[in-house]
Amino acid sequence: MRFLLAAEVRKLARPLVWGTGLAIAMFCVLITVGAANNARGGETSPRIPDICARAATPACAQVVARAHTAAFAAAQAASRLAQPGQVGHIAAGMLASLPGLLLIALVAGGHWGGEWGSRTIRSLLAREGRRTRVLVAKWITVWAVGLATLLACWLVLAIAGPVAAAASGLPDPGTSLWAGLGSSLASAGHAVIVLGLFAAVAIAAGTIARGQLATTAITAGSMLIALLVAGIASVGQWSPASFVQAWMGFSANGYLPTNFWSRFLSSSGPQLGAVAGLVGIAATGLVAAGIARWRFAADVTV
Amino acid sequence: MDAIRCEGLTKRFGATVAVDDLGLEVPAGQVYGFLGPNGAGKTTTIRMLLGLIAPSAGRAWLLGRALPDPRIVAETGSMIEEPAFYSWMSGRANLEVLSATGGGSPAGEVPRVLRLVGLSDVAARKVKTYSQGMRQRLGLAAAMLGRPRLLIIDEPTNGLDPAGIRDVRGLLRELAGEGTTVFLSSHLMAEVEQVCDRAAVIVRGHLVEEGRTATLGATRRRVRVTVAEADIELAGRLLARWPARRAGHEFLVEHETGRDVNGALAAGGIVAESVSVELPRLEDRFLELVEEEDSRAVSTSS
Repeated sequence: MRFLLAAEVRKLARPLVWGTGLAIAMFCVLITVGAANNARGGETSPRIPDICARAATPACAQVVARAHTAAFAAAQAASRLAQPGQVGHIAAGMLASLPGLLLIALVAGGHWGGEWGSRTIRSLLAREGRRTRVLVAKWITVWAVGLATLLACWLVLAIAGPVAAAASGLPDPGTSLWAGLGSSLASAGHAVIVLGLFAAVAIAAGTIARGQLATTAITAGSMLIALLVAGIASVGQWSPASFVQAWMGFSANGYLPTNFWSRFLSSSGPQLGAVAGLVGIAATGLVAAGIARWRFAADVTV
Repeated sequence: MDAIRCEGLTKRFGATVAVDDLGLEVPAGQVYGFLGPNGAGKTTTIRMLLGLIAPSAGRAWLLGRALPDPRIVAETGSMIEEPAFYSWMSGRANLEVLSATGGGSPAGEVPRVLRLVGLSDVAARKVKTYSQGMRQRLGLAAAMLGRPRLLIIDEPTNGLDPAGIRDVRGLLRELAGEGTTVFLSSHLMAEVEQVCDRAAVIVRGHLVEEGRTATLGATRRRVRVTVAEADIELAGRLLARWPARRAGHEFLVEHETGRDVNGALAAGGIVAESVSVELPRLEDRFLELVEEEDSRAVSTSS
C-alpha cells in the first residue's frame, strides 16, 4: 500500500492539480478582500428595509437598531481577518463548501476519471489487481490534495488577511494569536472530515463516469443537487448538504464569507446538531464507498 | 507446469459471444503465438487473463494459480494494445510509477529495462513528446519491469520501424532463452512464424488450430496439379474423392502425396502437365482457417 500511495502521490505532480489548488487559494483571497470591504461598508450603511428607511415607527426603530447591531457584529467578525491565527476558520469554511467541492471535483476528474480517459487504468490494474486498494489510494490522495489546499489557503490568508483588514479599516479583533489558532484548528478539523466526504463522492463518481469531465460533472452535480434538496422543508434535513451545514456549524448570517454553502440553504425548518451532521456525513461516505466498490468490480473494457 | 491454462473460457457481451469455450495450454519457457484476425477475441482473452474483465464461464490459471488472483496478475508483465502512459511525466517517471504501483522493484530495474528497449537517452523526456514507436518500446519496458516469469503482450511491434521490429523480436527470443514465457498476441503471421515456438489460431472466439509453428501450416499438405484444357472436366471428376479447388487449369488438392493424385489421374487416362506437393505457409493456413470458420458461422446462422 505504501508503494501504491507513493505512486499515486507522484501522479499528482501535474499542472491540473497545481493550477486548481492555486486558483482556489486565490479565490479565497479575493473573496476575503471583498468581504473586508463589504463588512466595512455594511458597518457604515447597515441593511435597512426601504419601508423603515422612510418611516419612523417604533417597530422600524427596532429594526434599524437591530440592523446596526448586526452590521457591527459582522464587522467585528470580519475583523478576524486581521488575526493570522483566526483566518484558518475562513480557509476551513471555504474548503468545506463549494470552492472545496470544486477543487475535489476537478482533481478527482483528472486523477481518477482521467485514468479511464487516457486508458492508463489498464496498466494500473494490471500492476495492482486489488481494486479496493486502488480505490483507497485514490481516495486518500484526492483527499490529501484538499488538505494541502486548505493549508495553502490558510497560509495565503494569514498574509493577505491582515493587509485587507487594515486597508478596509476593520476594528481590532481583540483576541490573541493562540486563541484564534485554537478556534481555527477546530474548524479545520471539521473541514478535514467534509473534504473526506467530497473525496469519497468523487471516487464513487469516477467509477460511474469513467472519464475526466464526467467525473468532475457528477461529483459537483451530485453535491449541488444535495444543496437543492436541503432547501426542501420536508426532506431537507436528510440531505448530505444539511449534514455538512450542521457539522461545520455554518451560520446563515454574517458578512464574512466563512463558507459558500449556507447561503444556498433555507434557514427555516429543523436544524441538525453537529453530531447528527457527523453521523450523516459518515453514512453518506459509506454509501459512496459502497457504490465505488460495486461499480469498480465491473469489467474494465477501455 | 503450464504458464497459462484455460478451460472453457467464455466471455459474452450481451448477445455477442466474444470468446467461446476457449481451451489453451501454454507451456512455460516458450514464446507462444496467439493468432487471429481483428475482432477474433484475442484482446478479450488477454483482458480476462489479466483480470480486467471477468469471464462469463470457464476457468483460467496463470503460472499454476487459479484466477482471479490479483497477486499473480501483478507478477505478470503485460502490454495490452497501444500502451498508455501519463503524458505529463517523463518516460523514466512513468516506469517508476508503474513499478511502485506493483509493489516496487529493485534499484537499477528501471534503467535496465530502459536500456533493453533502447530508450535510455530519451528517458528524461516527457512521454507526450514520444513517437508511437517510442511509446511501444516504453510499453515493452514497463511489461519487463521486475523480470516477470510470464509476459503477455499484444501486438508488440505496432508502430516500430524495421530495425525496431528486429530488435523487439530478438529481445523476445532472448527473454524466452532466459526462461520467461512470452504469450504474444498478433495478427502478423510472419512475426509469429519467426518468433514463436507454438501458436494458437482463434477465429470468431473459437480456437481453430493449435500446435508448433513449424508444423502448424503443414498439418495438411496439398498437391498442386496442372492438366491440359481438354482434361479439366474429367480431372475434376477423378479428383472429387479429395477436397479440391480449381483455378483455370490448376487443381489444389488437399492430400498428403502427389503419387496418389497422379495415380488417380493416370487411371482415368490423364497425363498431368505438372504435379507438386506444397507445404502451405502459416499465412496461407491462417487465411484458410479464417475462411472455414467464416463459412461455418454463415451456415450455422442460416
